[in-house]
Amino acid sequence: MLYELNNVVRLFGSRTVLEIDSLSFKARKIYALIGPNGAGKTTLLNQLAFLDQPNSGEIRFRSAPVSYDHSSLTGLRRQVVLVDQSPILFSGSVWKNIEFGLKVRKIPKKERARRIKHALERVTMSDFAHQDVYGLSGGEVKRVALARALALEPEVLLCDEPTANVDREHQEIILKILSHANSVRHTTIIFSTHYLSQSRQLAHRTLLLQNGRLSKNLEENIFQARIIRRDERLKCLVNGHLIPFSDPDGLASDNRQLRVHVDPQKVKLKAFGQKPVLSPWIPGKITSLSKENGNIRIMVDVGLKLQILLSEDEFIAHPYQVLQQVGVGLDGLGVTLLP
Amino acid sequence: MDLLVDSLKSALLLLLSFDPELYEIVGVSLNVSFFSTLFAALFGLPAGFFIAFNSFRGKRLVMTCLNTLLALPTVVIGLVVYSLISRRGIFGPLELLYTQKAIIIGQIILIVPLITTLTIAAISRIDQRYRNTALTLGATYYQMGWVVFLEARFGIMAALIAAFGRVIAEVGISMMLGGNAKGFTRTMTTAMALEYDKGEFVLAVALGMVLMTFAFVINMVFHFLQGRLKSDAL
Repeated sequence: MLYELNNVVRLFGSRTVLEIDSLSFKARKIYALIGPNGAGKTTLLNQLAFLDQPNSGEIRFRSAPVSYDHSSLTGLRRQVVLVDQSPILFSGSVWKNIEFGLKVRKIPKKERARRIKHALERVTMSDFAHQDVYGLSGGEVKRVALARALALEPEVLLCDEPTANVDREHQEIILKILSHANSVRHTTIIFSTHYLSQSRQLAHRTLLLQNGRLSKNLEENIFQARIIRRDERLKCLVNGHLIPFSDPDGLASDNRQLRVHVDPQKVKLKAFGQKPVLSPWIPGKITSLSKENGNIRIMVDVGLKLQILLSEDEFIAHPYQVLQQVGVGLDGLGVTLLP
Repeated sequence: MDLLVDSLKSALLLLLSFDPELYEIVGVSLNVSFFSTLFAALFGLPAGFFIAFNSFRGKRLVMTCLNTLLALPTVVIGLVVYSLISRRGIFGPLELLYTQKAIIIGQIILIVPLITTLTIAAISRIDQRYRNTALTLGATYYQMGWVVFLEARFGIMAALIAAFGRVIAEVGISMMLGGNAKGFTRTMTTAMALEYDKGEFVLAVALGMVLMTFAFVINMVFHFLQGRLKSDAL
């Protein structure tokens, strides 16, 4: 294991901002941390970057407990780089900013130049090499900060909301850079995001943080499934229901048993009243309703406990009730095969 | 009004005639001010760094004491140092009284609190993220400190300039500990006070003009460096 966290607690004053019972990260994987503002994502990333010390509990890196004395921390930090949500660039040129981390590692000048050029190419900012950082736009600052981290070729790259405040075009560029770093350099990536779509696009595993704690809600929508062939097409059989799926990793093969994840935000819900629920809708009964960060979390019993997230507006338009009979609609976009 | 205009004219002629006495006084002033600022900086800058960087018990009290010391009158410093270095003082055998060293000691005491508090202010203004960014990029604790120093360099330079301005313009310490001995401890301010007592305004006004010119030149240099260094930090 790359990281192991056991009973890690971080307090700010008397407020508990992070409380992780047990969590581990494997090397060479991409992890996404999702959760609302104040969920503890940044606090957790700071712990993983060895920039902050837990009040209690233990963090192990490469099976060794982390020692928080200055000399040990410098050695650990040189394997891990955190790119902040609103990165700071030192005054000076873009080149000198990227060079800083290489200089403190005493990397020879020629190698420094090679890495800086390569990193700038990766973030498509080669033309900005000798420009002063004053006057760079927010998106450019973010890309320079990413280049500064990539140039160090770290074992672990931590990114706090790497696509926040970046236009859609550059969001795609940043996500591709992270994916490339993982696939080519085998860098372990741990990034936080508000977007489940990004975590699904990129991450091998997604962790949901809520109020400083790991939530099992994401895992609750993971089910055992069997891939079967119907009408010349592969379908996924979950608890007797045939549902379409997406397969980004090419895992599907006839008669294969694996797990699927159902995105709670992509599940459709329909009230049928007294009428029978017709196919392709899956009949179910609402067992609980709760409010959560501007959404309504609905638990539907379809033979399995299925979590569904509706926006408040959707809920106001269709005020579902506990014990109501409903139809659940699943399409290929909301159901993903898991390795 | 005539007195001032005549004095200004005469002072200008004195300056342009390269009067050796005038330039000797300016030299003594620059010498003691330079060394007192240098030695005070050697103590005040690290102290400011330490206080700004660390949280410790009694930090608030230390800050309050430093702020109080900013208002310390020069004559009080003069009296205290005099009592220590006069013949009957514990440092009497070192025979420091009425030397440039005595002035430097007094001026160091005067400006150490100034440099320390202004350094604390300059460092505290630097966003915490600079420290974390330097650390996550692999900097050691001292390299991180250097990054913060570079980012705070204008505030620190301003602290040093303010300190230099304070000592070059002070009169109490120089008079009490230097004794205003011609050619040895006569500074611009003590000379001006003496000339005023004698009713000789010409040299006093000439020295005043030199003082103002120094203040102007130092500020020009500061602004020039600010522009140059802005794009050349790392």
